[in-house]
Amino acid sequence: MSKSLKLFGAVAGLLIVTGVPSFAQDVDAGKKVFRKCASCHAVGDNAKNKVGPQLNDVFGRTAGSLDGFKYSKSMKAAGADGLVWNDETVGKYLEKPKAYIKGTKMSFAGLKKDKDVENVIAYLKSFSGEATEEAEKPDNAAANEEKKPQTKVAAAPVADAPMADHGTYHLGRPALPEEIAAWDIDIRPDGQGLPAGSGTVARGGELFDEQCAVCHGSFGEGEGRWPVLAGGQGTLTDDRPVKTIGSYWPYLSTVFDYVKRAMPFGNAQSLSDDDVYALTAYLLYLNDIVTDEDFELSSDNFTEVRLPNEANFIDDNRQDEPQYAAGLEPCMSNCMPEPAKVTMHARVLDVTPEGEEDEGGAGAID
Amino acid sequence: MSDQSQDKTHPNKSRRSFLSGGVAVAGGVAASALGARAAVAATPDPLITEIQEWNQVLGDGVDAAPYGVPSEFEADVVRRDVPWLTADPISSINFTPIHQLDGIITPNGLCFERHHGGVAQIDPADHRLMINGLVDNPLVFTMQDLMRFPRENHVYFLECAANSGMEWRGSQLNGCQFTHGMVHNVMYTGIPLKLLLQEAGLKPNAAWLLPEGADASGMTRSVPLDKALDDCLVAFKMNGEALRPEQGYPIRLVVPGWEGNMWIKWLRRIEVGDQPWHHREETSKYTDLLANGKARRFTWAMDVKSVITSPSPQMPITHGRGHTVLTGLAWSGHGRIKRVDVSLDGGRNWQTARLDGPSLSKSLHRFYHEFNWDGSEMYLQSRAIDELGNVQPTKNELRAARGENSIYHNNGIQTWQVRTDGETENVEIS
Repeated sequence: MSKSLKLFGAVAGLLIVTGVPSFAQDVDAGKKVFRKCASCHAVGDNAKNKVGPQLNDVFGRTAGSLDGFKYSKSMKAAGADGLVWNDETVGKYLEKPKAYIKGTKMSFAGLKKDKDVENVIAYLKSFSGEATEEAEKPDNAAANEEKKPQTKVAAAPVADAPMADHGTYHLGRPALPEEIAAWDIDIRPDGQGLPAGSGTVARGGELFDEQCAVCHGSFGEGEGRWPVLAGGQGTLTDDRPVKTIGSYWPYLSTVFDYVKRAMPFGNAQSLSDDDVYALTAYLLYLNDIVTDEDFELSSDNFTEVRLPNEANFIDDNRQDEPQYAAGLEPCMSNCMPEPAKVTMHARVLDVTPEGEEDEGGAGAID
Repeated sequence: MSDQSQDKTHPNKSRRSFLSGGVAVAGGVAASALGARAAVAATPDPLITEIQEWNQVLGDGVDAAPYGVPSEFEADVVRRDVPWLTADPISSINFTPIHQLDGIITPNGLCFERHHGGVAQIDPADHRLMINGLVDNPLVFTMQDLMRFPRENHVYFLECAANSGMEWRGSQLNGCQFTHGMVHNVMYTGIPLKLLLQEAGLKPNAAWLLPEGADASGMTRSVPLDKALDDCLVAFKMNGEALRPEQGYPIRLVVPGWEGNMWIKWLRRIEVGDQPWHHREETSKYTDLLANGKARRFTWAMDVKSVITSPSPQMPITHGRGHTVLTGLAWSGHGRIKRVDVSLDGGRNWQTARLDGPSLSKSLHRFYHEFNWDGSEMYLQSRAIDELGNVQPTKNELRAARGENSIYHNNGIQTWQVRTDGETENVEIS
């Protein structure tokens, strides 16, 4: 990721030098808008396919043609019919993806503002064709050279370092406070690890629409098989329980910790602490645990909030179940009065993958 | 080699061709004189009487495959996934083809994968392991540092807690690769975690660890300190070679006998604390919802379990009546397997199977039962008993105790129906 940022920096720098500031500004604005896309799409140095295809050199590419990405049938068909990505086609697609390519896998509602569309196009173009080639030239090389020593300072163990005095083997070196602070971001139910900060339900709602709703749905109801985040209270004894933050999770700290370390999917650790407070507040709101849009969650009031299902978790007592009772000798002969009869066939459900048209079965994992 | 990579990109296609291939083989057996049932050959076998290409023309030299790959005729022995199980293939799972393997060791390239943020690709020169929290000296280790600690070698199974999780409500997936393939068994070379913790020095109130991965999911689990000091390893080799990237290269945590999610891959940090963290993978996930609405947490150990890998739906009997080999796997997170029984009639009558190969604690065990099949319908079952005396329960016993919404820790007895034509199916019986 840092590499792609470097490359971007190089691109922007080069463009300013060559005197096209307005374009550079578009690229910059586009980069911000692209955050909405970054949970699913990578672009830049070493970009790989994620939930969506990587977008390097997307301009001039035939739709649905990137090797190694599993497109929807409709996207492949559009490519076969001659759809090539350019300013016009990308623009139309970004405006209303599902209207432009019926059946596309991209579960994104579309960009409402024309300016956003233009800016994202400018941004993506900076990773397509000639723009990218130019950027690879001297500026980028300079950026790389600058970067290397930085990483190596921490990396290179000094060959004749003095023997450490800790432990038995005297191996490893003391972790510096800055290093521990950079990696130790975990949060516990008692509030240990919570950073300073705050965020309101209203702010969280904006962030959620921008960064989360594409997978989790506008109300946390979950798109496709992406996790459902809200609702489901009172369903835990149903045939099909709905396990959400409000109905199942025991601790709010888990939400903060997980969002901060792993979300948005594909762009982890990109949210500020205030953003994470705001999103956590909004998730409480979606689950009716707070009802006031002005509610502000902060490091001061965080541990006062309790989730409804906390008391319903128990420790492992499988060994107390009757089938594991001590001294049971398994039966060896005439163990059933009647011959066995089939009560259920896997083939009736027919959800074992054999082709590309498989429909889902029940009991998915996630 | 190109066949291999193609199969990886189109696993479903390869399975389809495998299935149709299987039918063709069975048809060929019936039609020709080469089948097992032919005691006397009617005409000489051209494979013997005619010189074959491989018998005449030179093959590849020693420089053709610096890293060897399986025979092109084994192209169907691949991991497969079930696309509808998860929202996308990045935070997802695939399955070990246990129906096609034998012995107890899983080849590295066939070990099932479960990632929550895709496969991290990390240059070992850029990898660091930090130990912080309730220690006297928070430390950072490079890979070079780690290679200077004493090492141990152990064979352990790793089973995902969700293995067989799709079968709680009844038979659903038709093949032991899908019903039981979230398991693998390899020899790990690693550093006892105890030594690394001692190097940092544990504070008196240390009681829990939080190992953390360096991948895009930043995977974390709370591990009780007793387990860490007992038998956990920080492993860097599997079956003698470096961990595969999808198994956590350059280092992963090994938590013998306990659910696979705790075996943090791409291990970059271990925090020491005085209480558990209750992170996502030990609250929202990997907790076992019971019928009464309560949920068990910290259900770490994988209970005694077994499955017949052949015959099974992907491995039907194609040779007709006569002598046949039934084989399968058994394991327990509580120790060694003491005994495996098999039933051909759906659990009415049982015979003790033959355990073969190494019997190691918290490792897969291989069992065989050789018999003459008379061509009649069978309901095959296996039942494992571990050294603590735990007997593998029936699925109905588990449902009676827990309901159908636990997802995890389904170690119930599996039934395969073998029909008179040898076709085999995942069924439930009463």
